[in-house]
Amino acid sequence: MDHNESVSRLLRLKRYEQPPPGYYEDFLSEFQCRQRAEVIQRPLWAIARDRVLRFLTPPSAPRLVMAASFAAVVLASTLLIGPEAQVSHLSGPDEKTSLSLAGTAPSLPMPKTSLRPSKPVSSVQYVLPPRPVGYASARTF
Amino acid sequence: METPDPPDQELVARTQAGDARAYDELVRRYSPRLYGLVYNMTSSHEDTNDLLQEIFAKGYRSIKSFQGKSSFHTWMHTISVNMTINFLKKRNRRRTMSLDDVDSGVLNDPDFIEATSSVDPSNEANLGELQKKLNESLMKLSHDHRAVVTMFDIQGMPHAEIAKILKVSEGTVRSRLFYAHKQLQNLLREFINP
Repeated sequence: MDHNESVSRLLRLKRYEQPPPGYYEDFLSEFQCRQRAEVIQRPLWAIARDRVLRFLTPPSAPRLVMAASFAAVVLASTLLIGPEAQVSHLSGPDEKTSLSLAGTAPSLPMPKTSLRPSKPVSSVQYVLPPRPVGYASARTF
Repeated sequence: METPDPPDQELVARTQAGDARAYDELVRRYSPRLYGLVYNMTSSHEDTNDLLQEIFAKGYRSIKSFQGKSSFHTWMHTISVNMTINFLKKRNRRRTMSLDDVDSGVLNDPDFIEATSSVDPSNEANLGELQKKLNESLMKLSHDHRAVVTMFDIQGMPHAEIAKILKVSEGTVRSRLFYAHKQLQNLLREFINP
């Protein structure tokens, strides 16, 4: 007999190794119990989120439509609220500031200053310590 | 007249729609096949039970992502092989495999005794030894080789199906089988007829 076939025949003996009778019925019951336990152990916020999503999202609605409608709501609310907020932000505080400055600013003569152009950023030089910090022994007291 | 069992696709669709009972039917249908696969890769009933619970739980959690590009059979087998190999990697790191928990019930199975005696009558008295040696030899194979041997030799799956499950070519499956058989020939020399 071919050695390869002999190995296959020996391995086929492993088919006789089966769990005890009734195992599969018990297995299903155990699986159902575990599933229920998983549902119970889920945090409340996750269950609530799922319910809200299920309520808002009908099963037939494609996700793209939902995303587009959400984006439209966000855009509309930005257009309605946005300009008003910008006007109040720009006008209110500046007027107050200018008025208060006009009233309290000292009338001192300004000294004459000679302004020179600053050096370009590329010419800045950093002075590094001769020994990198990381080389220092961490266990020195 | 009995109603025929619904096909897998129907049960999958019902599960995706939220019918948990349909998934129970899938568990009932697939647990014997997947038990054989996982058990022959782990050689432990206890580990197989725990792992199989996790496999079916994972299948349930991921079933919405199952698009039917492969059969449910292939999909579940792929999940099972991947999870079992990951488990074996962790177990190997944790402890050395003990083979003391070999299935002793099979030694009293008349079919097993008959099949064993037809392989080599001189070893009829040493069924326990043969079983232990078989398990030890399988455990000496790499995880990938063991998966292929389990599916082909023990479960009788065709090369093409194994290739789909493992996402490799049929050539790779044949090559793994060749090397695994060669290794097993050496390990089981005493039980193979000259």
